[in-house]
Amino acid sequence: MNVLTATKLAISRQAIIFLSIFTLSGIAAAYAQSDAEKGEKLFKSYCASCHAPGNNQLVGPGLAGVYDKYEREWLYEWIKNSTALIESGDADAIAVYEQYNKVLMPAQPVNNEEIDQILAYVKDFNENAPAEETAAATTTDEGVAAEEQETSPWFILIIIIALLVVISILRKVQHSLSIVEAKKSGEEVEEPVSMFQGILNWGNRNKRIVGLLGIVLIALVAKAGWDAAIGVGVYTGYEPEQPIKFSHELHAGTNGIDCQYCHNSAAFSKSAGIPSPNLCMNCHTYIQEGPQYGKEEIGKIYEALDFDPVTKTYGPNTKPIKWIKVHNLPDHVYFNHSQHVTVGKIACQKCHGPVETYTVGKQHEPLTMGWCINCHRETKVQMDGNGYYDEIHNRLPEELKKEYLENGTITVSELGGIECAKCHY
Amino acid sequence: MSNNIKYWKGVEELNQTPDFKAAEKKEFAEYLPVEDFVGDKSLMEGSKTSRRDFLKYLGFGVTAASLAACETPVQRVIPHVVKTDKTNPGVANYYATAYNDGNDYADIVVKTREGRPIKIEGNKLSAFSGGGVNARINSSVLSLYDGQRLKAPRIAGNEVSWSAFDKDVEGKLQAALNGGGKVRILTNSISSPSTLKLIANFQEKYPDADIQHINYDAASFSGALSANEEAFGKRALPSYHLNKAKSIVSIGGDFLNTFPNSVMLAKQYAQGRNPEKGWMSKHFQFESSMSLTGSNADVRVPIRPSEHAAVLLALYNHVAEVTGGSKVSSSSSAYEEKVKQAAQHLIANKGKSILFVGSNDRNMQLMAIAINQALGNYGKTIDKDLTINLKKGDDNKVKALVSELNSGTVDALIVDGVNPAYSLPSQLKFAEAMGKAKMSVVFANRANETTAAASHLAASNHYLESWNDDNPQVGTYSLTQPTITPLFDTRQMQDCLLKWMGEDKTYYDFIRENWIATSGMAAGPAFDEFWNTTLQNGTYKTDAAAAAVESEPKAIDAVSVARSIGKQATGEWEIEFYQKTGIGDGNQAHNPWLQELPDPISKITWDNYIAMNPTDAREMGFATEYGEQKDANTVNITINGQTFENVPVIAQPGQARKSLSVAVGYGQTIGKENEVIGFNVFPAMNYKGGEVANYTAEVKLEDADGKYQIATTQTHQTIMGRDSVVRETSFSTYQSGDKEKFNPEHTIATHKGEMSVNKVDLWASHPVAAAGHHWGMTIDLNSCIGCGSCVTSCTSENNVPVVGKDEVRRSREMHWIRIDRYFSSNPEDVENRNYTEMETPEDNPQVVHQPMMCQHCNHAPCETVCPVAATTHSNEGINQMTYNRCIGTRYCANNCPYKVRRFNWFSYQNLDKFAALNPSQDDLGRMVLNPDVTVRARGVMEKCSLCMQRIQDGKLTAKKEGRPVVDGDIETACSSACPTNAITFGDYNNKASKVLERSKSDRAFRVIEEVGTQSNVYYQVKVRNTETTSA
Repeated sequence: MNVLTATKLAISRQAIIFLSIFTLSGIAAAYAQSDAEKGEKLFKSYCASCHAPGNNQLVGPGLAGVYDKYEREWLYEWIKNSTALIESGDADAIAVYEQYNKVLMPAQPVNNEEIDQILAYVKDFNENAPAEETAAATTTDEGVAAEEQETSPWFILIIIIALLVVISILRKVQHSLSIVEAKKSGEEVEEPVSMFQGILNWGNRNKRIVGLLGIVLIALVAKAGWDAAIGVGVYTGYEPEQPIKFSHELHAGTNGIDCQYCHNSAAFSKSAGIPSPNLCMNCHTYIQEGPQYGKEEIGKIYEALDFDPVTKTYGPNTKPIKWIKVHNLPDHVYFNHSQHVTVGKIACQKCHGPVETYTVGKQHEPLTMGWCINCHRETKVQMDGNGYYDEIHNRLPEELKKEYLENGTITVSELGGIECAKCHY
Repeated sequence: MSNNIKYWKGVEELNQTPDFKAAEKKEFAEYLPVEDFVGDKSLMEGSKTSRRDFLKYLGFGVTAASLAACETPVQRVIPHVVKTDKTNPGVANYYATAYNDGNDYADIVVKTREGRPIKIEGNKLSAFSGGGVNARINSSVLSLYDGQRLKAPRIAGNEVSWSAFDKDVEGKLQAALNGGGKVRILTNSISSPSTLKLIANFQEKYPDADIQHINYDAASFSGALSANEEAFGKRALPSYHLNKAKSIVSIGGDFLNTFPNSVMLAKQYAQGRNPEKGWMSKHFQFESSMSLTGSNADVRVPIRPSEHAAVLLALYNHVAEVTGGSKVSSSSSAYEEKVKQAAQHLIANKGKSILFVGSNDRNMQLMAIAINQALGNYGKTIDKDLTINLKKGDDNKVKALVSELNSGTVDALIVDGVNPAYSLPSQLKFAEAMGKAKMSVVFANRANETTAAASHLAASNHYLESWNDDNPQVGTYSLTQPTITPLFDTRQMQDCLLKWMGEDKTYYDFIRENWIATSGMAAGPAFDEFWNTTLQNGTYKTDAAAAAVESEPKAIDAVSVARSIGKQATGEWEIEFYQKTGIGDGNQAHNPWLQELPDPISKITWDNYIAMNPTDAREMGFATEYGEQKDANTVNITINGQTFENVPVIAQPGQARKSLSVAVGYGQTIGKENEVIGFNVFPAMNYKGGEVANYTAEVKLEDADGKYQIATTQTHQTIMGRDSVVRETSFSTYQSGDKEKFNPEHTIATHKGEMSVNKVDLWASHPVAAAGHHWGMTIDLNSCIGCGSCVTSCTSENNVPVVGKDEVRRSREMHWIRIDRYFSSNPEDVENRNYTEMETPEDNPQVVHQPMMCQHCNHAPCETVCPVAATTHSNEGINQMTYNRCIGTRYCANNCPYKVRRFNWFSYQNLDKFAALNPSQDDLGRMVLNPDVTVRARGVMEKCSLCMQRIQDGKLTAKKEGRPVVDGDIETACSSACPTNAITFGDYNNKASKVLERSKSDRAFRVIEEVGTQSNVYYQVKVRNTETTSA
């Protein structure tokens, strides 16, 4: 039994080490960027809104094969200033212009080296991409799994059970040894008692310790009950399945889109706002296929708007998307995003966690009152350059200024930020 | 000053009845009628539920509840598919528009949240209505969400589609029009230039047909209009400059409540009543029932309705004596001395005075014009050229229409905005006459007495869903714009008329075209800019001076007019018809906010009643005190031959002896099932000469031996014998400038000698004096006229629940702000009293209106007794109430000396009993709730928060803009609704703030300051323009 546990332990330890090395090597690899990798970044910032790296056409044509089709020099000129090339009467250029509905490609602020990198990426994408992406996905998944295992309470429980087993075996061994010892010395051997009886006997002898243990046990149960009660209505980690498999990781992480591009009312409104599908269309008119679910999930936006991706026209049969709200505050709490985002200059991540790494939106913090209050106690008020606070500060009598500034900062709570009616009215 | 005036809220307090004395010591009514509420007691006792069953249910219930609690409710969040530019969740939008229901007019601003209108406030840019609103106007947002509204048009009672409706009406209408038939359009007074143009176009388009438009006002001003037409040649009412009048005399005119543009009149009146500018107006009121206006008068003389004419003629004679007019014959009046006093004051202020007459009698109004002319008031305090277009109704033409209808010659009758079958005298039998028209199309929001008799019922928009324009006064224009898409399948009259005329445009297009034509501008960017600016501001005032009314004023032959006024018929009893401040002429009788608003004078909710002088009531053996256990008596009353059985009779202090009064606007029969509030006395009004008379002597009264439950808030929240609640003084005392005389400081004897109460304290003081903000409020008792606009505004802003008549009777009304109305004996009467007769204080008491809400005491008695610290003090001087922490011990309410805390006895939003009362407590009505304010649960205390949500919002806006909060940025719901600017809100720590200035004035005092609560609300001493120096 104990051998088995030990083996398990050993295996999982190995697994952790193995996975850590694996993850680390992955990170290391990422730093040694090839041309193709640099090109991917450039592609995403300059080209992706109109071109796909593969064969499908967005606004402009898919770029698969473009590196072989044209002269490198011609490509440099075309990308840097296609209008000039067309005007110069270049036959190839005019042909491309005519072929794609006479939509001019805007001049791109890239140099020849960068164009090379982009083309290297496009080439790489068409030749090797699919396999690589799958590998990357697997790596991250395993990394997360390992991390979770390390912190799992089950793990601790197993260790405790194992220790108990060891203790019991040692006790038996000791008992046997003492019998052997006794026999050797010819003493009278005590009748062996059952373990249960032994515990009872021990308990009878050590009433104080039993009493103490009893108190500890009651305290533990009470603590567990208390924690459970406190946890009612707290949904840390709430991660419901949404009608569209929208990934913050892809949008905010990989593509680096600012949070407030979509949740723009966070800056001026009580609510951060869920973007309406017409906002999605700023990009998704052209980006019609996602890396993971292809056309399926993006298609749901089109369905909501009754948009035909081929003809790029809107129909009348719109229907709203029913997202599931993740962060729910009770009705008796007033929370205003703009107070925190615009006035307090608090980063979104402070309350929402590393959203740019979430594939599914989830609640990161407990959103309990204690959690709010703690932050209000610790957070410094962003007074600099704000006329409102200047006025409030000017009104303060000297002794209060001294008291507030004792620790060098003025916190939210010192300006009344933990008073009831700041949030409850 | 206040030391020897005795104040009393009602007859029971005046007489200190044992019941009252026992009750005043209790914060909560002792008798808790839970069984009445839960159900029939015998049923409960006879129930077969055993102890075991009970335990089973209990166990099941607990299990079910805990299981339900375990499940996370999934909340959806659904964004727009295509978001409009300026509607952002969580951000309020404001739209300027105008309110005109034919009875009230105001330029207003509508607050919308997530596209739903939730609050109505005055438009501060309005030069016409002055930026205020009254209770009827700010409550009108609730009627938008009335579940009883008509949801589709109907033909013969069956719901049809608009296309079917149009087809049917158009067919019949075109047949009539092309055949030269008679078409009649009956509406409320229309002052919208585009609607009038539309009707004119309609008439022009069918020149062969006989099309007529008749204006009709349920509360008629026909007499005054005819008199003005005769005197000045134009059928319109003049504008008043009440702020310039030093002497105001009103004979039965309730100008602060019922006159056109009463909101502005109230504002001007308050300006004239401010003693700090060196003078204040003196106001004499001769009237029968105590009106809102009369309650504010310096000298109020109760007279019987039939005596109005005699007083007017006597007044004329006094004026003519000085100004040299011919005297008229008049009977001697018992009020000779007071009339003389009023006349002398008028004469002393020639050109700076106004005489109002409330009567709807043309000759009475002519006499008033003659007096005002003699006093030289025209061109100074009265502007006959700057006419007000809000009232146009002609009682004669309505009568003529009915006889036309009866003759059966009318092909089509179109009715909009009025309910004549309800509000016309029964002698006209309107419903019957309407049935004789070949087709009757009635536009209405909800089914009513007129729609019941109509062949076609056109479901009309609420005004918040409609386009319109208005021209309330010469040179002043306003636009009404929709603030929400029509909730139901409804359409406004103008759009229908355009359609039936075969015009292919909307009324919106029509208004724009009409404005282009009128303004003389070409359609284009310049006009668009003008239009958009006007739309944004809500109002537009032309620069051009008002064109003078054409003809020269005709000299009024006072002698012949006086002869035709003649001797008024008298009777043993006389009854006057009046409008209450809440219900008005009954346009919004289904609005529970207005029904629950206590009448400013009687403090009665949810009813109308026959008001009688208390002495008369005692002589008749009627109860004079009302409460949960004390019902009113009922009478059978016959008015003009029409009998009302078993109607309640109320003893109303200030009512003239042997006169009665009754409010119109109640008793609408078609509404919610089994729910008729009060009784309708409109049908009992009769034509007298060419107008509907607002009183009659044809009254028979007999005791019906019945009892009637009355819901009055009169004795709720009493002052517990503390007499420093209100302070008043006379103008002469105030002018002496000796603060000690009219507003002495409270002192207390200490071991160091007499000290100001504010210097002796048990508690360490809150650091509100210098740190950050220190919010507070001042209320000027001189400006407050008691109209109740603040009460309904607060209800709307703070999601205050409606509890209904039954609960009001149990002292459980939830209003965060109430207006305490105190009666006191008239010191002049006391002085002049003949010692052989006993004074009857109820006959003619003086009145003080005092808005009362949480005083936000810095040393709040409620805070120290809360066992769970649910009510605490903020560093900004606000007494905070945290609902989610409250466990409902009610200790705080017991300990509050101001009696301003309210307890949620029930879950008002969930129980059917309350949802049935209040549309804002059902699913549709919930859209009116302010999303920034918590809807309170059962078992918690609530009270005024000083509109915490507005303070927080104002601060946040300032922070976002990086600037200090400017005085006036933040207004509470009550202060912004106040038409007279009696309530001011602000920051005492802002040296430039108005509240600081007002709190430092000589008139500033704090209510029951001697108990040491250090409240943050200051009141200002009421100053009466009386000669008396004592009392």
